[in-house]
Amino acid sequence: MASHLPPKPTPQHSTTTAGGMAESGHARPRGLMRWLLTTNHKEIGTLYLLFSLTMFFIGGIFALVVRAELFQPGLQLVQPEFFNQMTTMHGLIMVFGAIMPAFVGLANWMVPLQIGAPDMALPRLNNFSFWLLPVAFLLLLSTLLMPGGGPNFGWTFYAPLSTTYAPPSTSFFILSLHLAGISSILGAINIIATILNLRAPGMRMMDMPLFVWTWLITAFLLIAVMPVLAGVITMMLMDINFGTSFFNAAGGGDPVLFQHLFWFFGHPEVYIMILPAFGIVSAIIPTFSRKRLFGYASMVYATAAIAILSFMVWAHHMFIVGLPLVAELFFMYTTMLIAVPTGVKVFNWVATMFRGSISFEPPMLFALAFVVQFTVGGFSGLMLAIAPADFQYHDTYFVVAHFHYVLVPGALFAILAGAYYWLPKWTGHYPSVRLSQWHFWLSVIGVNLTFFPMHFSGLAGMPRRIPDYALQFADFNLVSSLGGFLFGASQLLFVLVIIKCVRGGEKAPAKAWEGAEDLEWSVPSPAPLHTFETPPTFQPREH
Amino acid sequence: MRRLLVWMAVGVMLSALTPIALANGWNMPVGVTALSRDIYSLHMIIFWICVVIGVIVFGAMFYSLFRYRHSRGAKAATFHEHTSVEVIWTAIPLLILVAMAVPATATLKTMYDASEADLDVMVTGQQWRWRYDYLGEDVAFTSNLSTSREQISGTSEKGENYLLEVDEPLVLPVGQKVRLLLTSDDVIHSWWVPDLAVKQDAVPGFVNENWVRIDEPGIYRGQCAELCGRNHGFMPVVVEAVEPERFEEWMAKRKEAAQQEAMSADREWSLEELMARGEQTYGAVCAACHQPDGGGSPPAFPALAGNQALLEEPERHINVVIDGVAGSAMPAFRNTLSPVEIAAVVTYERNAWGNDAGDTVQPSEIAERLAAQGE
Amino acid sequence: MWQAIKSVLAAFLGVQKDERRREDFRSERPGTFIVAGVIVGAAFVLLVAFVAMMAAR
Repeated sequence: MASHLPPKPTPQHSTTTAGGMAESGHARPRGLMRWLLTTNHKEIGTLYLLFSLTMFFIGGIFALVVRAELFQPGLQLVQPEFFNQMTTMHGLIMVFGAIMPAFVGLANWMVPLQIGAPDMALPRLNNFSFWLLPVAFLLLLSTLLMPGGGPNFGWTFYAPLSTTYAPPSTSFFILSLHLAGISSILGAINIIATILNLRAPGMRMMDMPLFVWTWLITAFLLIAVMPVLAGVITMMLMDINFGTSFFNAAGGGDPVLFQHLFWFFGHPEVYIMILPAFGIVSAIIPTFSRKRLFGYASMVYATAAIAILSFMVWAHHMFIVGLPLVAELFFMYTTMLIAVPTGVKVFNWVATMFRGSISFEPPMLFALAFVVQFTVGGFSGLMLAIAPADFQYHDTYFVVAHFHYVLVPGALFAILAGAYYWLPKWTGHYPSVRLSQWHFWLSVIGVNLTFFPMHFSGLAGMPRRIPDYALQFADFNLVSSLGGFLFGASQLLFVLVIIKCVRGGEKAPAKAWEGAEDLEWSVPSPAPLHTFETPPTFQPREH
Repeated sequence: MRRLLVWMAVGVMLSALTPIALANGWNMPVGVTALSRDIYSLHMIIFWICVVIGVIVFGAMFYSLFRYRHSRGAKAATFHEHTSVEVIWTAIPLLILVAMAVPATATLKTMYDASEADLDVMVTGQQWRWRYDYLGEDVAFTSNLSTSREQISGTSEKGENYLLEVDEPLVLPVGQKVRLLLTSDDVIHSWWVPDLAVKQDAVPGFVNENWVRIDEPGIYRGQCAELCGRNHGFMPVVVEAVEPERFEEWMAKRKEAAQQEAMSADREWSLEELMARGEQTYGAVCAACHQPDGGGSPPAFPALAGNQALLEEPERHINVVIDGVAGSAMPAFRNTLSPVEIAAVVTYERNAWGNDAGDTVQPSEIAERLAAQGE
Repeated sequence: MWQAIKSVLAAFLGVQKDERRREDFRSERPGTFIVAGVIVGAAFVLLVAFVAMMAAR
């Protein structure tokens, strides 16, 4: 395989690959320009992470507006129009602005360090793909101030509610999603190029840490589905502005076509948001179990299997839209099958802990909570896969509970686990243990108080996306709202942890965690701006 | 001693929670049709499968966390692979899923068999009400939320069926197979009644099929399940299931009322009569978008109060109500409202909230116009 | 080719022996595996579709 690829970087030309401003002989730009022009993977990684943290709080405030309105029955704080904008913006911001950029940020920081590369393969492209994001999301947020308000049709923006019946700002929403999509595609290309070309000499594909593997597969998923999203929003744009009727039944179009296209993008998208999380957890659990990951090859294969299956299950989001019986059965079967490789992953994590030597540092706490809570989300996913039962679950709070379990105590906890795991490498200091434990326990309690009662309110009959509800759902919503505010407030502790950690704290050695094995732990903590300018010699572990 | 107290406290809490859990509807309703019971049992089977797997997996995990703690001096083993174990834990879930797929397939096939129905009802979603059309019976009506605005805004006490009550429920006979044909006039809606285990999207331009055979008389409540715009949360579904004899009586009464309404279109109506009827219709149909005070919410929904174009062009005003405005959220009311209602609501809009057109639109005019268009 | 298909099937299940895996990755050409992957993927879709059609009858 290697013979077909460009030569691995050697010290002679690693300066051009690293590409950074610091290497070019000019004076380093300072202040704002330094961040605007940086091509360094660590600085861009930091930018991504800070951006996603900001978006996480903005999206979180929107969620709290929703939870505050749902605190008790009746309309108290906001009107239904604004409520719908809040639910929509919360979803869009969290998916495209918080979770995805956070994973890209972690990839920027950690993929080169984990494979022994001096930088990303395409540093200038890297800068461009980051700076598209603030533009895209400022545009998206600005729609809230436009006449008629921002997007109010849910993050899934089903036509014709998002076309014929949409507010005038929808074209701006489409443009901002296009920009975010371009950013994702460019980021994915960069990650693939880096992983395939810049591995340290001697590191074969099957020697790569699982975070690198999951990101490689995620990047291929991104390249495969982002153009589909771009296509479907362009069709919306045409319907809105140029008189076409792709999704307009009155003109011979088909509103259900929209859903097929959207979910052909949307289902792989949910795996885009969870596969890198698998990678992070697969790094942390072995480290703190002081034992190698159980079934490394199975994990890689299961990731690939999940990725491929994710293209064959999209219509399980559409069980009640009026599909023919054969289609219902097909998608029910494939959806049930995707549970198998996902189960393999959970079993492997548990087997990794079995007969290990386990300690409970903050990253491990978050990783363990991820395993349990993600599995709970997986269980409700399995229930939703049963098509006849989905006729009752569909579009209720049961679904809301399901995907929040996968995304918040799932993907988000994995990101937090990764942040705690790598903070010593980024800052050179350990995060405060006491504060992190407070953050962890308040988050766990808050997140479960918020989302567990949603299972009950959904089963009892509460539809999604309603600003006001019947009286029998009042108790569940009260608990969810209290939990939501607890969870939101406890994330401020995370900011405090980061600030304290950047400023000081217990010094971390190069190998910050006793059981950590990957290449990133061979460079000093904090990692200097330029690492691996001379490729390390990689020693594959005895298999 | 302390441990005993903790366990007692847990026991008391659990025993207190169980009756609450059973009484307060924490679970999917069993429902009142054979299908809803099938779905409920599928739901419980898959739920218990998940519980068993969860107990095993989390049990193994927490055992490991407890038993192999670093702080207890545990030494890590070095194994990292075991092909036969991996094959076993891949195969077992696979078998469980296959076993689960069999009853699920059978139930799904029953759900999809809407043939040989005793009664056909067309269900049309409109922003934000349901229209029911008893096919072949010449009986049709719309069903609107009947909870008052005061209850929603909190200025009056919320009733028992807050947000789950309508002015006219869908009346169905028990014991008969009723086929539901669902479609929509504007965006996608979803017709859902949990007790009947029927949830089906109503898609504009397409007709979906579902069916229900209700076992017990009673009133069953549900809601629109697909986000359909501003008043998505205010679009309930109420089904009243009655004995077949009572259903026949009800149907006869409905037909008579429909005839009278048609007859009354012929006579001359006074301004007061039209205003009174118009206020009623406006409140049920128009106020959701154009607001009870006619203020609208621009730019999507223009104001009617003080709207000069509306006052100066009565012809266009009538056309907009009858035909809607293409490419906007304004629907055509040709088939939704009777000539009397259209005439009344147009008259009301021209003479309410300080609008002073002073003219009336007669139901007979509208009826003629509709008849002319129909040819 | 048969070896490649077997490896791809193992990947679909998510389980593979270490020796087999190492043997696979000794091969210099990923092309065989990509072709095998596409074949097995298509066969999988057809199989599930066939089962669904049989079940729907």
